[in-house]
Amino acid sequence: MEAIAEQKSIYLQAYEAHSAQVEESEWLRRLHRNGIERFEAQGFPGRTVEAWRKTDLGLVLREHFPPSSGPGSVASNLVEKVGALGQAHRFVFVDGWFDADLSDPGDLPNGLTVVPLSVCEERIPAIMRETLGAYADTATHPFAALNTAFFRDAVMVRVARGVALAQPIVVVHVLTSEADRHAVYPRTLIVAEEASQFSLVEHFVGAEEVFTLNCPVAEIVVQQGANIDYYKVQEEGGGSAHLGVVHAEVARDATAHIHSFACGGKLARTDIYANLIGPGADATLNGLYLTSGRQYCDHHTWVNHKAEHGTTRQLFKGVLQGRSEAVFDGLVKVFEQAQKIDAQQQNRNLLLGKLALAHSNPRLEIHADDVKCSHGSTVGQLDDEALFYLNTRGISLDEAQCMLTLAFANELLKPIRLDALCQYERRLLLQRLPGAEMAGEMS
Amino acid sequence: MALLEIRNLHARIQGVEILKGIDLAIERGETHAIMGPNGSGKSTLAKVLAGDPSYEVTGGEVYFQDRNLLELAPEDRAREGVFLGFQYPVEIPGVSNTYFLKAALNAIRKYRGEKELDAMEFLQLIKERAKSVKLDEALLRRPVNDGFSGGEKKRNEIFQLAMLEPYLAILDETDSGLDIDALRTVAEGVNSLRSEERGFLVITHYQRLLSYIIPDKVHVLLHGRIVKSGGKELAEELEGSGYALFDEAAA
Ligand SMILES: Nc1ncnc2c1ncn2[C@@H]1O[C@H](COP(=O)(O)OP(=O)(O)OP(=O)(O)O)[C@@H](O)[C@H]1O
Ligand SMILES: [Mg+2]
Repeated sequence: MEAIAEQKSIYLQAYEAHSAQVEESEWLRRLHRNGIERFEAQGFPGRTVEAWRKTDLGLVLREHFPPSSGPGSVASNLVEKVGALGQAHRFVFVDGWFDADLSDPGDLPNGLTVVPLSVCEERIPAIMRETLGAYADTATHPFAALNTAFFRDAVMVRVARGVALAQPIVVVHVLTSEADRHAVYPRTLIVAEEASQFSLVEHFVGAEEVFTLNCPVAEIVVQQGANIDYYKVQEEGGGSAHLGVVHAEVARDATAHIHSFACGGKLARTDIYANLIGPGADATLNGLYLTSGRQYCDHHTWVNHKAEHGTTRQLFKGVLQGRSEAVFDGLVKVFEQAQKIDAQQQNRNLLLGKLALAHSNPRLEIHADDVKCSHGSTVGQLDDEALFYLNTRGISLDEAQCMLTLAFANELLKPIRLDALCQYERRLLLQRLPGAEMAGEMS
Repeated sequence: MALLEIRNLHARIQGVEILKGIDLAIERGETHAIMGPNGSGKSTLAKVLAGDPSYEVTGGEVYFQDRNLLELAPEDRAREGVFLGFQYPVEIPGVSNTYFLKAALNAIRKYRGEKELDAMEFLQLIKERAKSVKLDEALLRRPVNDGFSGGEKKRNEIFQLAMLEPYLAILDETDSGLDIDALRTVAEGVNSLRSEERGFLVITHYQRLLSYIIPDKVHVLLHGRIVKSGGKELAEELEGSGYALFDEAAA
């Protein structure tokens, strides 16, 4: 208990020292202040807090991570990753700070506003000022609170009413070796106005051996009839801790496709909140996670059906190698007024390593009486009969395992509507599998 | 040297001995049939020859051409030219039939030092062979055996046989579940592949198939042993008398 009390004050002290130095507008100062107060009120979660029971935060609690003070220099292998997803409106943040040189916004069409907070703090439209921080739950999520206290830059995206974007927006978050033993707090706000339609990717990459505490928060507001595909790709270096929050607020007849791909970091967790607040709202939460060695990867989801006729589909799949460990914990809550909703939740894990461990905890809490809900989870290995069948056709064991693993993951790669991203994630998967040389185009 | 030579083969699964001393030799160009009641060990023999790791070989030898077959991994047996048509073909969701066959064919060609087929050559071959065994082309794009009817699965096995052109084809009850037209097509497929250098081991319950695929030799397998071998007339004899006669003789 003492250790926790001490850490609280370290973060508070850091906050006070830090905020004394920076000039910022009143609204931002208030938001930051609120974040640190919320953090102080709860501290880091102990193992007795249900939502954090399985997550071993030892790594993060053992030391203090001061916020990164500026962007480091980006090594060439990371520069390559920055451009990996092809044609896009690209915005790059290095150790949490906007980098104009690496960014490539292209021609921003009418109706698309993307503003890095550091570039034009005074000119942030009122609507975005009011929305930033309005949704992420700082009262109960300690890392959302920390982010809110410490973020200095942010990417704020708005797509105007009725606008459909031809190109995706790609936001790349790079961690450099200068962020070693520091904390980085990427912050994202996405406002999809009525009937707008677009895709946005947040791509998290980092130097291999650095130990950074990365706590991103994304707030996504999907207004009536809008349709957004949000992809999060987390492939930071194997030494880092990633504790992220994605919050989507989905209005009447709006659609949010959320796809989380995670394969990086030593300790990685993404908490996804989806609130279906208008009738006919539709949310898909997909997750694909690949773990090896001693990686720990966690997805927690909270889906709240607050209005009638909503639909949610959750499918999370893990491919676990080595001695890695993965958690899926999802709660679907159906509020009393949310009649005629349809909620599905599935978690499937493929254990490739004999010592790998998958935990699955899909949960339902239903307060309405006329609803369709289902959930399930499986943990299994590759099918021996299928492997043998492939072997008898001349295909080696490695190749056969690779084929079947890809087939398992394909269910989550196929729905990716950005071809470059789909291919990219597929490559990340194949890189981890022996016998992948042969796996050309598999459909 | 025979194409396949099995000497005193013993095998067990989960501690239970199923094959209790099998002797069998197949020459190049020959077709042999194995008949026997349910549970006599026919599929066990087929799978042991193909290298199924769930079986343990406890005695005996198997030579294929001049290779000690039992020393080879299942994929190398396939690359050397052994093919098993499964009694129960396995469904592989998520892997398309076309992709699967391309990987298989190229793995085999590579092993034999032949050049891999490019996309065009492969497509041409696959179309031509699908036609020869009357396999619906739509099935090529579907995942391997996934949701195929019983007959479609069996036809798919013969199609793979036609694609991979092995030296020894072991067909485990490829006829069961087929209607008479399908049976005829399958038999025609097999017959068109019969040649001087290729051997067949056809496992079946029914004489019916053997009136289309005429065997050179017929063996009766009972309780893990070959209790009688003869010419094609042995199959007809069995059709009339059943296996009871041999059962008594074996006991
Ligand atoms: N996993 C197992 N453990 C124990 N016994 C097994 C196992 N698998 C198969 N057997 C037994 O091995 C014996 C031979 O089975 P096999 O499948 O080879 O018979 P078969 O001649 O092909 O029969 P069918 O005509 O029904 O196809 C059977 O008695 C079966 O019950
Ligand atoms: Mg059988």
